[in-house]
Amino acid sequence: MKFNASLMWFLTAFYVVAAAGYMVWYAGTHQGGFEPIGSAAISMLAIMCAFLAFYLQMTGNRQGNVPEDRLDAEVADADFEVGYFAPWSWWPLFLGLFAAICFASLAVGWWMLFIGFPLAMISLIGFVFERSRGLNAH
Amino acid sequence: MATATKTAPSASVKKKTKGQIVVDWLTTTDHKKIGYLYLITSFIYFLIAGVMALVIRAQLAAPGLEIVQTKEQYNQLFTMHGTIMLLMFATPLFAAFANILMPVQIGAPDVAFPRLNAVAYWFYSFGSFIAVAGFFTPQGAASFGWFAYAPLSSATFSPGLGGDLWVFGLALSGFGTIMGGVNFITTILTMRAPGMTMFRMPIFTWNTLVTSILVIMCFPPLAAALFALGADRRLDAHIFDPANGGPMLWQHLFWFFGHPEVYILALPFFGIVSEIFPVFSRKPIFGYKTLVFATIAIAALSMTVWAHHMYVTGGVLLPFFAFTTMLIAVPTGVKVFNWIGTMWKGSISYETPMLYSLGFLTTFIFGGLTGVILASPTLDFHLSDSYFVVAHFHYVVFGTVVFAMFAGIFFWYPKMTGKMLNERLGKIQFWLLFVGFHATFLIQHWLGVIGMPRRYATYLPEDGFAWMNLVSTAGSVFLALSMLPFFWNIYITYKRGVKTNLNDPWGYGRSLEWATESPFPRHNFTSMPRVRSESPAFDLNHPEYAAPEAKAAPKRKD
Repeated sequence: MKFNASLMWFLTAFYVVAAAGYMVWYAGTHQGGFEPIGSAAISMLAIMCAFLAFYLQMTGNRQGNVPEDRLDAEVADADFEVGYFAPWSWWPLFLGLFAAICFASLAVGWWMLFIGFPLAMISLIGFVFERSRGLNAH
Repeated sequence: MATATKTAPSASVKKKTKGQIVVDWLTTTDHKKIGYLYLITSFIYFLIAGVMALVIRAQLAAPGLEIVQTKEQYNQLFTMHGTIMLLMFATPLFAAFANILMPVQIGAPDVAFPRLNAVAYWFYSFGSFIAVAGFFTPQGAASFGWFAYAPLSSATFSPGLGGDLWVFGLALSGFGTIMGGVNFITTILTMRAPGMTMFRMPIFTWNTLVTSILVIMCFPPLAAALFALGADRRLDAHIFDPANGGPMLWQHLFWFFGHPEVYILALPFFGIVSEIFPVFSRKPIFGYKTLVFATIAIAALSMTVWAHHMYVTGGVLLPFFAFTTMLIAVPTGVKVFNWIGTMWKGSISYETPMLYSLGFLTTFIFGGLTGVILASPTLDFHLSDSYFVVAHFHYVVFGTVVFAMFAGIFFWYPKMTGKMLNERLGKIQFWLLFVGFHATFLIQHWLGVIGMPRRYATYLPEDGFAWMNLVSTAGSVFLALSMLPFFWNIYITYKRGVKTNLNDPWGYGRSLEWATESPFPRHNFTSMPRVRSESPAFDLNHPEYAAPEAKAAPKRKD
């Protein structure tokens, strides 16, 4: 995980410099003016990257040295259980379809939302709880 | 354990009925099948938008033609050509290749969120259909250009259902792309095989990671901008009202998405050719780490160059954006240097994937060079919105996306289906495509220089554009014809192709997908080789030339 965090820290640093450079340069060439859109956009990139970097850093510290970051790891060093992979599912199709009806309703007419939204909610609940084994049952 | 054991697929597999096959595809959560769905859907959109392009070229073949009945229809054609090619063909094509290959390349059994992956596909698929469905409405599809500049895209200047469908369809499809990006990032960060450190990942996987980071940085602003535009159009909001500076706000937001989007299209395809050059040069990739850092640098810089699309507004900080835009040519140049370094003194053979990769390289360099010209504000003021720009971005985007797409399809077809595509047809297709493409677009640079503006439905004989446009249209016919050998190739390979039964049919495959069966088993590996370098499959198949770390590693008996 170590380089992941470094990558995001690097991006954070870059966008901090870019945002500062943009604002200073703009102010310098526009009699102390301020351009809100670009300044906000680049600054928010820096915030988002810092957010991710912080999370990755914390997770990496908590996990310690995982097999996928060790140069000499053997295949057998991986976790025994990789995870559960749903073999198939109907819910993604339904969720996509009914979400599409909701989005189309914004363009076509509100009446479609009354059809699409309940169905999308049912699909969403179905999607979330499809393979649920209950709280703390893992 | 380091040797791939072959297990014959069980002979008791029953033949599925047609209904079972359909249900299988509709309910799939297999990353490879979802990848194929992306590949097929995006290719269909490529063909649809390609036909639109042919109609546009036919309309422009000679002055004063009326192939399309109204100028409004012409506007719809170029709007939807751009929209489809960018957001319904090229972006999902990234998701296609990333889905099919990335989990295999890192030694994972699937992506991190298989069902979310399926949701992402259906969002893309239905969203794209909504956006294109404008063609089925009486007034037709959106006609305000694919970048939907305010105030032209407002309900006052572009009324009609087509524009609304465009806005909300793209918003839905964009959510699908974001979900795909999140899924890819999580998969790469958490599901690598033991020993597959970040700096042993194949370049394609690296580029998938960096592209996905770009996706989560730039697609949310697009979603925000589209919803704001939708609110303007449907709820009479005044977000992009010229009275309060709306046009500049839209252009900033759109290009803040739009420019990184171009790199979302480019980076994965750089990754594809970075996989192909070493295999057909029989050399490891030259400068692995510089390639990775160049990719990161391109991604970082690409978020700070957006306003070079807005030089002619007169309202942007010209030196800043000219500086960053020219700076981005440096890591791109590093990449080109690396690819040439990979081929340098290699034992090169010109199979179809290699031909396409070389086609990519030449085409992309042309586009990159004209990009540096356009990065200069003084030159851009003259060339902006002319055919020079059209030629430039077709060189960049077609060069990367289409050439590298065919390179990737030919390269990984044995992995996807177990059969190799026909080489001779592939080469015929390549030369038709290459000649057709350059005949279509090279001359458009000069059209732009003598002053032909983009997006005009027709021109006068006195303009002097006629013969150049005729050449361009003739080239586009060759470009279109080049699809025929491809379909024939797919068909005869399906009918008469022989299963290779080889893990590595090209002989010098490097990354992990060449260490598993062709086609892939359901969860990608029946056995996994030990990862000791960035080319584990090569170490496995050619132990005498393996990386020093792989040789030095003690053999374990299990």
